[in-house]
Amino acid sequence: MARFTRFGGSVLVYACFIIFAVVIGLPFYFIFISSITPSSELFNIPPTYLPSAPTLENYLKMTESIPFLTYFRNSLIFGIGSSAVSVIAAGMAAYALARIRFPGSNIIYLALILSVALPQIAVLVPMYQTFNSFKLVNTHHGLIIMMSSLMLPFTIMTLVSFINQVPAEIEEAAYIDGANTAQIILRVVLPLIRPALFTMFLINFIISWNELLYPLVFAHNVDTKTLSVGLTELTDPGSTYTKPWDQMSALSVFMIVPVLLIILFGQRMIISGLARGALK
Amino acid sequence: MAAQSRAAHPPGRFSRLTLRQRFYIVAILLLLPAVALRVFTAFYPFLQTAYLSLHKYNPAFDHNGPVFVGLNNFARIGSDPVVQASIGFTILFVVGATFFQLTLGLAVAHLLNAAFRLRYLARALVLIPWAIPMAVAALGFRWMFDDQFGIIPDLLRTIFGVQARWLIDPNNSKLAVVSVAVWKSTPFVALVLLAGLQGIGRDLYEAARVDGANAWTCLFYITIPMLMPILITTGMFMIVWQLAVFDLPFLMTGGGPGFSTTVIAQKIYLESNSLNYGYAASISMVLVGIVALVGVVGLYLFRRFDVSA
Repeated sequence: MARFTRFGGSVLVYACFIIFAVVIGLPFYFIFISSITPSSELFNIPPTYLPSAPTLENYLKMTESIPFLTYFRNSLIFGIGSSAVSVIAAGMAAYALARIRFPGSNIIYLALILSVALPQIAVLVPMYQTFNSFKLVNTHHGLIIMMSSLMLPFTIMTLVSFINQVPAEIEEAAYIDGANTAQIILRVVLPLIRPALFTMFLINFIISWNELLYPLVFAHNVDTKTLSVGLTELTDPGSTYTKPWDQMSALSVFMIVPVLLIILFGQRMIISGLARGALK
Repeated sequence: MAAQSRAAHPPGRFSRLTLRQRFYIVAILLLLPAVALRVFTAFYPFLQTAYLSLHKYNPAFDHNGPVFVGLNNFARIGSDPVVQASIGFTILFVVGATFFQLTLGLAVAHLLNAAFRLRYLARALVLIPWAIPMAVAALGFRWMFDDQFGIIPDLLRTIFGVQARWLIDPNNSKLAVVSVAVWKSTPFVALVLLAGLQGIGRDLYEAARVDGANAWTCLFYITIPMLMPILITTGMFMIVWQLAVFDLPFLMTGGGPGFSTTVIAQKIYLESNSLNYGYAASISMVLVGIVALVGVVGLYLFRRFDVSA
């Protein structure tokens, strides 16, 4: 595609890039600008594109309407816990599925992968009853169990494809040297697949940080609600006429920033992880 | 060292097994957490949903547990205009969103693959819509589409002279919801297609160019046929995943105006909240049925193109 005539090609490419950047960036610009615009100015017709006097009052108001710090902590527990559990469980399963030939391994692999197609909402009621009888509603570990399970199929698929690319000779050599299975997994395999595990940890953290449905249904108290639930709560006390966009934009900025940092830090790993999972 | 420590252990029950048997036990132990999690939160609840779909069960009234009603719940779906409207909108949403995600995704993938200075900036930018919470995008766009205070109607008016009401018009609100889904997920599709593009050998394009092919013929006779297996799997994935969409329309329009943007998942959510568990389960089974149908068609398409490619 780089074989356009040199001038025409690069002008076209940069024009496309500018359109692309504006379409992607405009909502973020707008959310950020709204969060520092005084709410009196926010409800102007026509809309303002730059605040006359930037302010942090929206952020203060937001932290007064919801227990922001507690929700932030809950989101961190939920995100880190779910991605850790999913990566550990998926890593173990992926190793067994990729390396050990045993009867029924294909069926188990297919069942695990195809269960990704089961809509979350379709099993919500029975799940609620089960989780309720196990006293798992309104608990961090209950939320972590369901969220990590939700992300397992994609994580297993990605890790199986990664392990398949690591040559098995290294492990065979370790066997011949007399290492047992636990030693091989911990000392040989784990260091080899550590980058893949870390990539999936980042991807799964982003996915659970963004999750709305599970916390919305399974977290009813201040100690377990996440920031995404907080975002829906901000809509309630507002007047029927407009939603409190001043506070919602402030909270939105707080929800976007951690994700942006992760992307800045792990862009290459995340792109390769996403592509690998979807291609195989 | 490892050999010594092994010799030092007295032969236990485990080491009396054959090597193959030992591998099986290790495999089972390794698979146990993942399988247990999936059984607990997917397979077992799904069987219960299937069971509930044949029963009338509202815990507020049916104190003796679910009452078997055969296919009554499914007959009720046949005469429930809201469920039918939600199925209609869900299919429109999924087909429309996936079509534009694939076509625009292919275009963006070409941009990300082009040799220009800002390529790495473009690759970082493209991740952002995928990575931000759907709740943030849905509420942000709700505000941006607002007829009085939003910037999208204002920009469309001043730049293109388009006079339209968005979220309070039944048809335009559908368009608005689909376009947010396209904005949010096209980048993901583009990244997957980018990996596919990088896998196509340059020599194919060079040979075509020698034969006098232009960019369009290259696109339609090399790129798209070579990407067909990836396009089908990605398209399938997007269709199946978006059939269960919930948070976007729920937060952006609340399913309205009227029921014009109510999706199947939101209808299930509403019925579950009204404690109509049996009825909610039967709508869930319809949703699962649609997903399964798409899966079978996709598998058939994939086999056909995979063999020919």
